[in-house]
Amino acid sequence: MSKENPLSPHIQIYSWNISSLISISHRIIGVINIAALTLVCLWIALLLLGEANYEYIKFFLQSFLGKFLILGLTWSFSFQILSEIRHLFWDFGYGFELITSKITGLIVIFGSFILTILIFLFSKQIF
Amino acid sequence: MINATKKWIFLKISSIILIPLMVWFIINLVSIYEKDYVAIVSFFSTQPSKFLTSLLMIVAFFYSSLSISEIFEDYIHDEKVKSVANKALTIFAIIIPLITIIIIFNLTI
Repeated sequence: MSKENPLSPHIQIYSWNISSLISISHRIIGVINIAALTLVCLWIALLLLGEANYEYIKFFLQSFLGKFLILGLTWSFSFQILSEIRHLFWDFGYGFELITSKITGLIVIFGSFILTILIFLFSKQIF
Repeated sequence: MINATKKWIFLKISSIILIPLMVWFIINLVSIYEKDYVAIVSFFSTQPSKFLTSLLMIVAFFYSSLSISEIFEDYIHDEKVKSVANKALTIFAIIIPLITIIIIFNLTI
């Protein structure tokens, strides 16, 4: 008899629903966010190169790709913030009902886009 | 208390600390990323920014190392590979924030 721990079926075995979509997205986006935060650390390190050399990085960040990366990072942060709050509610024993879980899942998906817009508007002092 | 319970408590405490720090950082990142060198260094030179950015880096990498080790637990089945991956993850989660904090405290215009 094998001494290895039993494994639960992998994600492709199950049919997709909101809960599983948010669950796997939470993991993937968590990994993306720490990779992005490592790039932020690199950006901070590049400040040591001085003002003249920083012009190249500034040029990149002001480009379409640079703006797109920051927008993507804002969305991935927003998604993780909302999904993390959802997990914390579960940890305190709230939101386990199927309908509540679906609603909070939808709030995480659509809320992440709304929060991204709000962060951009707030950061650019549009309101 | 067993190790898995300790790990879960550490994950949850770091998650509670991380949420407001992520909100603070992303708002400030979006407001400064396009600005010039002096404005960005000035931002990181203030005491609250130094403290909060350092705290974010420590908590975020700590939280990530705990949660990514859970992913390793689920997807890496070779015990030796898992052990090496976890050690590499721990070193990464200590080195990157440490270097970043040293840089932040040494930034001058």
